[in-house]
Amino acid sequence: MSKAMERHASFRTERGQTSVVRHDVRAGFGMLTPAGIVILAVTIFPILYSVWMSFNSIQLTENGFQFTFNGIQNYVDVYSAPLFWHSVWFTVYYSIVTVAIELFLGLLIALAIQNVEKLKSVSVVVMLIPWSLITVISAEMWSYIYNGVYGVLNAILQGLGFIHSPINWTGEPVTAVIALMAADIWKTTPFVVIILLSGLQMIPKDYYEAARIDGANGWQIFWNVTFPQLRGSIAIAGLFRILQAFGIFDLPFVLTQGGPGSTTTSLAMLGEETLFTNLHFGLGAAVAVSTVILILGACLIFLSAFRGMVGEEAQ
Amino acid sequence: MRKPLYQRVIGYVVLIFFLVVILLPFYWMFVTSFEPNSDISAYPPAYFPHHWTLSHYEEAFGQFHFGRYILNSVIVSITSTFFVLLFGSMAGFAIARLPIKAKQPMLIFLLIISVFPPLVVITPLYMLLRDVGWLDSYQALIIPYTAFNLPFAIWILRNYFLQVPGALFEAAKIDGASVFMSYWRIFLPLTTPGLFTAAVFTFVACWTEFFMALVFNPDNTMRTIPVGIALFSGQYTVPYGTIFAGSVVSIVPIVILVVIFRRWIVSGLTQGAVKG
Amino acid sequence: MKSKVKRWTSVALASSAAAALVVGCGQPSGTGTANNANGSASTVTSTDNMVSVAGVRIAKPTHLVNYKNASGTIVWAESFTTGPTASELVAAFEKKYPKIKVRLQVQPSNTDTNRADLTASISGGSSTPDVYMGDVIWPAQFAHNQLAAPLSDYLPTSFWARFSNGLVAGATYNGKVYAAPLFADTAFLYYRKDLLAKYHLPVPKTWQQLQTEASYIVKHGGAKYGFVWQGADYEGLTCDFDEYLADAGGSVLTNGKASLNTPAAKQALSFMRGLITSGVTPQSVDTFQEAQSENVFTQGNAVFLRNWSYAWSDSQNPASSKVVGKVGVAPLPTFAGHGTNGYSTVGGWDLYLNPHTKNLAAALQFIDWMTSPQAQEILAANSEMPTIKAVADSPSLAKYSPVFALLPQVKFVSRPAQTPNYPAVSKAIYDNVNAALAGSVSVAQALKNANQQIQQALSGSGSGGL
Repeated sequence: MSKAMERHASFRTERGQTSVVRHDVRAGFGMLTPAGIVILAVTIFPILYSVWMSFNSIQLTENGFQFTFNGIQNYVDVYSAPLFWHSVWFTVYYSIVTVAIELFLGLLIALAIQNVEKLKSVSVVVMLIPWSLITVISAEMWSYIYNGVYGVLNAILQGLGFIHSPINWTGEPVTAVIALMAADIWKTTPFVVIILLSGLQMIPKDYYEAARIDGANGWQIFWNVTFPQLRGSIAIAGLFRILQAFGIFDLPFVLTQGGPGSTTTSLAMLGEETLFTNLHFGLGAAVAVSTVILILGACLIFLSAFRGMVGEEAQ
Repeated sequence: MRKPLYQRVIGYVVLIFFLVVILLPFYWMFVTSFEPNSDISAYPPAYFPHHWTLSHYEEAFGQFHFGRYILNSVIVSITSTFFVLLFGSMAGFAIARLPIKAKQPMLIFLLIISVFPPLVVITPLYMLLRDVGWLDSYQALIIPYTAFNLPFAIWILRNYFLQVPGALFEAAKIDGASVFMSYWRIFLPLTTPGLFTAAVFTFVACWTEFFMALVFNPDNTMRTIPVGIALFSGQYTVPYGTIFAGSVVSIVPIVILVVIFRRWIVSGLTQGAVKG
Repeated sequence: MKSKVKRWTSVALASSAAAALVVGCGQPSGTGTANNANGSASTVTSTDNMVSVAGVRIAKPTHLVNYKNASGTIVWAESFTTGPTASELVAAFEKKYPKIKVRLQVQPSNTDTNRADLTASISGGSSTPDVYMGDVIWPAQFAHNQLAAPLSDYLPTSFWARFSNGLVAGATYNGKVYAAPLFADTAFLYYRKDLLAKYHLPVPKTWQQLQTEASYIVKHGGAKYGFVWQGADYEGLTCDFDEYLADAGGSVLTNGKASLNTPAAKQALSFMRGLITSGVTPQSVDTFQEAQSENVFTQGNAVFLRNWSYAWSDSQNPASSKVVGKVGVAPLPTFAGHGTNGYSTVGGWDLYLNPHTKNLAAALQFIDWMTSPQAQEILAANSEMPTIKAVADSPSLAKYSPVFALLPQVKFVSRPAQTPNYPAVSKAIYDNVNAALAGSVSVAQALKNANQQIQQALSGSGSGGL
């Protein structure tokens, strides 16, 4: 080791921590501060307030909210409402199915983009279009497309001879869910594509070289080189997609209004309805907190399945 | 080194198929925005408009103050994205490479924040903003947007910082670079894919956010695009033509930005940032 | 604002005085039964605090405000969104009262979005908007949650005499009036007079007749669909259903209890479902709101349409309608043996007062003027149905729109909105009716479920317990 490196090498002080390390720690906290301040200032109060709301029975008075502590009564009420469990069930299987499909399709498209020479910039631009549409507008567009009388989807299907009479897409329970999923997948697969695409670029080229020299074919290269390196990006894409899917609101709100009946009422819709339609703030907050707990649970399950793949700590 | 032929062919086939599928609904929205109202709910629909009209665009800009909404959205989105990138990359770097404690809890905490349904926090946030006197202003949106988009940016950028070889960090330290300098000079340039990814997502998230923009900025001169488009609808009318016109217009700035910066974005996303 | 003690006293007095004629409990107007929001039939006793105005018992004002010389700036949250109506009104108002300035705050017209927005700001203590437009079904809910101030406390009782019958009752909760009806909405039957003429059919007076005629015309190729209406899973379905229900002689609530388990309800819902199964109405009607149903009609693809009064001008607009000049409008039909004309749900918009307003006098002056003949004429000229007798009963109203001429023939039914949990009550109705229309449940089962959920909603919990 050179003299210089010796100077900077770690050695134990009486405090049990190297001065270099301590300096780094201070720098670390310093760099965290701006983000920390903004996040805490904006989100801490509202989130804590909402959590506190969930433990109270809330009456709106002329002086604002009037809190009456009632322990877990709100949660008891929420968990004994069949509607809540319908929403949980719908939100869970909706999220799992859409995220799985999106991860698969996203990977497919990202690999395709990487494997072609032209069309790269066109692809990126095209990818951004559904993603950058305002969700409510996208939902209106799909509502127009799915319309049972003058919608273009039925026109195309009938024209091609696939169906004889128009399908009532958003009016039947089964097709409503399919319609919703299709609209969601259309809009958010680009999200996955972009994350995976940039993740693909972080894979050093010589890994591929080495594999090819070893005589591996395309499939083997993918499975042994690409996929392991990509797990971090897949994990992130999957993680945040799960977050968004569990909180889905705009799409069912506009496309199906949560119907038919309550078939497509997501948890976020249920929360909004309880809060702002029925004006039951304590119950609504309990729904929201329960949603958060559920999402966190899903994330933790997902992360443990990808254990250690969301970037090892560099030490 | 060129990829084998079969890989390229499959690649093109798959890609073109999906590009078409993705573009089709948008094509439909695009042409509908130029159709007169009487044709919009006609059945069977015209796959290519028989009559063209600019009336919906005129309505969006003339009757509604769409130009102003665009300006507001641009200011809010660009500013928020800037701060998210700046603060987020710093925080992501710190979590990735610096020996601070409590990393896992911090990451989980960030998750919690991005998970919390925004609708629930709207009323307390409203009270907060009202007490500070910041309603009907740009900061009323910029600050919450920054806060709610930071978690995702931090997660993404942390992932990128982790993939830069640690030897670079050591080398920089030996050369006497301060932590901030090594972040600024060395790491940041190496994670351009991450920066562009985070930038794109943050910008789009701010551009398309509806509810906070509705509640915090009620004054008509401070409305943003999503709220503006929502105001096109009457109680019983859904003016598809005008809504789609507004929507097409709202995508144009994004497309322009992407086209202008396409070299950087594409190379950021499709060229390896770290050569072997 | 008065102290809490005074507020509770007046509420207690109001309840014990058994105020609030609840025309809105789903019973056809004119029967005059008194029910209060909590579900028990109550005797009407008179105390010093209650006055009878236009058939409604309301509490006397506690805080009469003289707003003759009001000044200041008020913010008016309006949902006209498009068109010149709002600015015309403001211009006329400011001309008459130059000391008061009105700032417009444009709100989305979607009821739920609007309510969420207003709740977030008003419950957050905001003093603006001072006056806001709100749905006609909000008074009970908003009153209960202190999102609207009791106008009857500040305005003289004579103020309420100006409104057409039944409207003030719908704006009353616990003996106080929380909203000033701004413009009303009525549903009509729109028909293709060219098709009826072609096939020598009269304008139908009963539902059965309508079904037969529609079926006939469709079979002979006159139009693609017979009859379109609003059957989607939303508030509008409650409006449609209430009309069939009232036509059949039923009501959502009787004596404050859910009453959908009656033969009348069965007849109404079976008829609605029958329209679909017989092919007169497309199955997709269970996804139709007003816009979709109107589109089908103005494209020339339906013989009959049930819609609100605004549909008239839309159908005569050459820019969007293919049936200009071919449309007739009539009061809605009813079931055979139930009178000559059918019922229409009361719709419309009211003006509400923000309890935190800092410009009470100016706001009251504004509300007063907006419900005066000058303003109501402007509304009528913009195809909005006026709410005050002076304008609504005037024969010259017909010059604005042929639908106005039909008003005297229409019977009104109000939605059961006198409970703060009305959204849950309504959801119980439209969720189950929609399920029956889709064929997912039988008519009998749907009504049973609806009944049960309505009871649950009335007892204070929201839909399905939330």
